[in-house]
Amino acid sequence: MKKYLIYFIFTISLLAHPHTFIDVYLTINVKDGKTNSINFKWKIDEMTSTMLIMDVDSDGNGKISSKENRFIKNNYFTVFEDYNFYTYIKVDGKVIPFPKTKNFKATIENHRVCYSFDIEGDFNMKKTVIEVGDTDFYVAMMLKQEFLNISGAKAIATGVDNDFYYGYKVEFK
Amino acid sequence: MQYYSQLMQLLVSYQYELNRYISTTIRSLNDENSLSTSLLILGIAFIYGLVHAIGPGHGKALVALYFTSNKSNYKKAFKMGYSIAIIHAISALIFTFSIFFILKTMFRQNFNQLSDIAMQISAVMIISVGLYLIYEAFKSKNEKEKILIKSQKSETAVAFSAGVVPCPGVMTIVLFCIVLGHYTLGILAAIAMSIGMGLTISLAGIFSIALNKKAGGFMEGRTYILEMIGGGLILLLGLFLLMGSL
Repeated sequence: MKKYLIYFIFTISLLAHPHTFIDVYLTINVKDGKTNSINFKWKIDEMTSTMLIMDVDSDGNGKISSKENRFIKNNYFTVFEDYNFYTYIKVDGKVIPFPKTKNFKATIENHRVCYSFDIEGDFNMKKTVIEVGDTDFYVAMMLKQEFLNISGAKAIATGVDNDFYYGYKVEFK
Repeated sequence: MQYYSQLMQLLVSYQYELNRYISTTIRSLNDENSLSTSLLILGIAFIYGLVHAIGPGHGKALVALYFTSNKSNYKKAFKMGYSIAIIHAISALIFTFSIFFILKTMFRQNFNQLSDIAMQISAVMIISVGLYLIYEAFKSKNEKEKILIKSQKSETAVAFSAGVVPCPGVMTIVLFCIVLGHYTLGILAAIAMSIGMGLTISLAGIFSIALNKKAGGFMEGRTYILEMIGGGLILLLGLFLLMGSL
């Protein structure tokens, strides 16, 4: 019976597979081990971007105007608040509330829709860990070492392997 | 659980690479390389389907539950796996083409809304299948002496209830092809992908039948208990999906 149970849990524990892939690029300028601002740039996979572009590039010129930028922010970006932007910032091992996002800008680069945004706060980088991942398993957040643009500190991106959820984390040294 | 998580991570990274590879290949398609590139795209779509279906999904959960609780053979597992995959792909094709050509704009909003409705229909159907299986199990308990031949009906119902939800993975590829003007390739890619998915779903069924055979010994004469548990779990799965999509 145990076998059945294990198999049952295995199959339905997570009811979706990733259909959207987002590359997460981080830009941080660290000074004396601290920073006030972290820039995120999400690069959405080309196929999902195609669907998005159909909806958001209303004039079809392959560029995002300021009007289209507002539309994307209100209709496609703020919804991620409910999902904590798939990002968990841990200070001393505890997740802090995700700061309000600023300077949202959407662009189209090489057929891919990109979202750039900043968060602000007093971050002591040695105590800070940034984790990305979707607990619902619908979006795959990819954060690789080569996506990091960090000055003034050493950062290492590795995979996170929690029980029903996984993703990537960045630690600073 | 750690190995399971590692396996999922590996599967995601494979899908990530395949997703990138397939989109750049479709975009590189032109008059000069059309045949070789099209074949390459179909090959990748097949592998993508295969890997895509290894990830957790309600189709496999349903097939696994059905076959762990109902005596069957490997041939039937293949048949059901492929029925689900084909219905899954046809549903995705119909959804994508109709949304694209009839509604045209606001694709994503419609996509999400219609996917939710399809999921609700599927959940209600899965609940009905669960109830039906429990009813059948009760019947076979009362008529222990007689050999009950399971009707083909329940298997078709299982395949249809799981398959009716269009596969977003297929929809994405089909839409990508349509947007770039490769209509036929879009349809063929959906077929290639569903052949891959069908294989994986069938293997889940076969695995469950193997488990069932092993367990059959000590459950001899009381298989209705297993059938009831299976029916109950399918019912729960349906309720779970329904709640998730409301």
